[in-house]
Amino acid sequence: MVGALGRNLTSKAVLTPTIIAMTVCFYGCMAWTIYVSFTRSGMLPNYDLVGLAQYDRLWGDNRWHVSFANMFIFGVLFITGALALGTLLAVLIDTKVRMEGAFRTIFLYPLSMSFIVTGLAWRWFLDPTDGLQSFVRSLGWETFEFDWLVDRDMAIYTIVIAAIWQGSGLIMAIMLAGLRSIDRDVWKATKMDGIPTWRAYVSVILPQLQPLVITCVVLLAITVVKSFDLVVALTNGGPGFASDLPAKFVVDAAFERANIGQASAAAVMMLMAVIAALAPYFYLVRRRS
Amino acid sequence: MTRKSVLLGGAAVMTALLPAAMANAQTADVIHWWTSGGESRAIGVFADAFEDAGGTWVDSAMVGGQAARASAMTRIAGGEPPTAMQWNIGVAVQQLAEEGLLRPLNDLAEAGNWTDNLPPLIVENATHDGNFYAVPVNIHADNWMWYSTAIFDEVGVEPPETWDDFFAVADQIQAAGYTPLALGGQPWQESLLFRTIIIAAGGRDYYRQVFVDHDVEAAGGPQMVEAFELFGRLRDYVDEGSPGRLWNEATMMVANNEAAIQIMGDWAKGEFNAAGLVAGEDYGCHMAPGTRDAYVLVVDVFTFPVLDEDDATAAQTMLAEIMMDPAHQVEFNRHKGALPARLDADAGAIDACAAIGEQIVSDPDAQLPNMALAFSNDVEGQVTDLVTEYWNDPSMTAEEAAERFSDIVANADS
Repeated sequence: MVGALGRNLTSKAVLTPTIIAMTVCFYGCMAWTIYVSFTRSGMLPNYDLVGLAQYDRLWGDNRWHVSFANMFIFGVLFITGALALGTLLAVLIDTKVRMEGAFRTIFLYPLSMSFIVTGLAWRWFLDPTDGLQSFVRSLGWETFEFDWLVDRDMAIYTIVIAAIWQGSGLIMAIMLAGLRSIDRDVWKATKMDGIPTWRAYVSVILPQLQPLVITCVVLLAITVVKSFDLVVALTNGGPGFASDLPAKFVVDAAFERANIGQASAAAVMMLMAVIAALAPYFYLVRRRS
Repeated sequence: MTRKSVLLGGAAVMTALLPAAMANAQTADVIHWWTSGGESRAIGVFADAFEDAGGTWVDSAMVGGQAARASAMTRIAGGEPPTAMQWNIGVAVQQLAEEGLLRPLNDLAEAGNWTDNLPPLIVENATHDGNFYAVPVNIHADNWMWYSTAIFDEVGVEPPETWDDFFAVADQIQAAGYTPLALGGQPWQESLLFRTIIIAAGGRDYYRQVFVDHDVEAAGGPQMVEAFELFGRLRDYVDEGSPGRLWNEATMMVANNEAAIQIMGDWAKGEFNAAGLVAGEDYGCHMAPGTRDAYVLVVDVFTFPVLDEDDATAAQTMLAEIMMDPAHQVEFNRHKGALPARLDADAGAIDACAAIGEQIVSDPDAQLPNMALAFSNDVEGQVTDLVTEYWNDPSMTAEEAAERFSDIVANADS
């Protein structure tokens, strides 16, 4: 009895600093940011309340509209793309290819790099005057064109491509682990019923991996919201601000433009977007329990 | 969520720099953004002089002014300010002074008679409420044109004095297989180019109306429409690799005779020098088309945050004196490509371009404020956004752009 209480006390004592730190650093900063977004803060915080003026200006700003829309384009394409490609790779490896270890290593390698390195490498690769386009042209295909990096309508998709390249290896590893944990008897049963392999994957095996898919989506969604370094290294938001993302908008406003008010308002809008995206998930979880 | 990552990032920066902040006697931890070949040689002049005088130089160079200023602000906010930090003279320095973050340098200024040895426009902007807060080390100008003498010789045309001249020869240059205009397609570079075009389109008095008087009507007037139209026509003369290119990469296109001209501040000269090219022979220089009677001042200064320890303050004093020394300023600007800020330093000794610059800047009417002297960082950012949006979106009309420019100016002082 005493021992149990003591154990309990120890774990409580150990956890308390973490809980305090979490509350102060995370929720405290969040509350402060929300408060500041209603003030006239400029270079330094200022606590004169000005109502919704910061939000008014934010939503009148074309650059913010582009950044905010880009977060959704990037989010949807990156999450579905990385999930689809990662799962496909996992299935292909699961069907007992030769040199499986080598493939696994190759696909996982991009993950070991920082987004800065990924961004720079793709920037060189996609640069129309020194990269892929000029290489293919030098081989003799003079009219070959691949200039998404400098095309303001397509630049955001280069970020999607680079992010999928980096992220799908992790999805592959997680999904492969899931596939390997499927009971052999399930496979035997599908074989006995004469179900083709692809059909077995689509209708029987993959549906069983739903919890893993949710894990993957959460991991990828976090990448979407925090993706700042990839944009900075790959396009720096350009051409113009065509490939800007909210995280970059916030950092620019806070530091380069010495406008903490705008930065806070933008950060709060990002938080709103994240909550809106996560709400259905929490709703489902609650209903299930 | 982002706020948190910003704070964490700041904390990480601070932790990384902690050893440097634990300063002993006469250690100067200097934040600056001079990282290209010519620039780092220039800051090396001050670093060497400081070490020769017995100090220890801790170089906190950051890539890009934005990162450097962000790092400086984070460190001040975190209670670990650097010994000195580079800034561009202007509204931002005034704001820092007003917040009480900077050390007043009046004792040094009086002893060294700074007021008489610096141009009046710089004195006015380096002081706040009668106190000196910044040590100016150079005078740059935004509105320089750099050109490849080899390309102009080969095509057989003269470097343009006006934009009409430019359009007259640009097609010939393009036909000969060269890029007429080397542009680094980053927002600040597009904005710099556009501001020189405002002077060309409206003249320097018009420029003063907009940038000094913040005249809302003028900012949306026919001169601004003309400037945007002219700017838009330049899209045809830029190569497709332009977006995202760094300014010094664009300079190297001119240095390597791939592009005919670049409009860029005279920090570009440092790159030509670093490549071993000689001004007036291997490359040419003059003011940007249509702006031969204007010198848009960009002044690099060092500011000194308020520090608690006496040792650190002594290091600041030593550093400020080294930076204000006329001989050091000439040597520094030989690498940097600018004119010395001190009027009593011998700029003519530097090179042919500096001689042209010195002659133009000597006329007080030619001295125009650059963006940082005219508007706060916030307003500058809005103008930059507008200019880059216009440049990258050919569907926006010049009239619409001018109207939005006028709106930005209207809200600038509120």
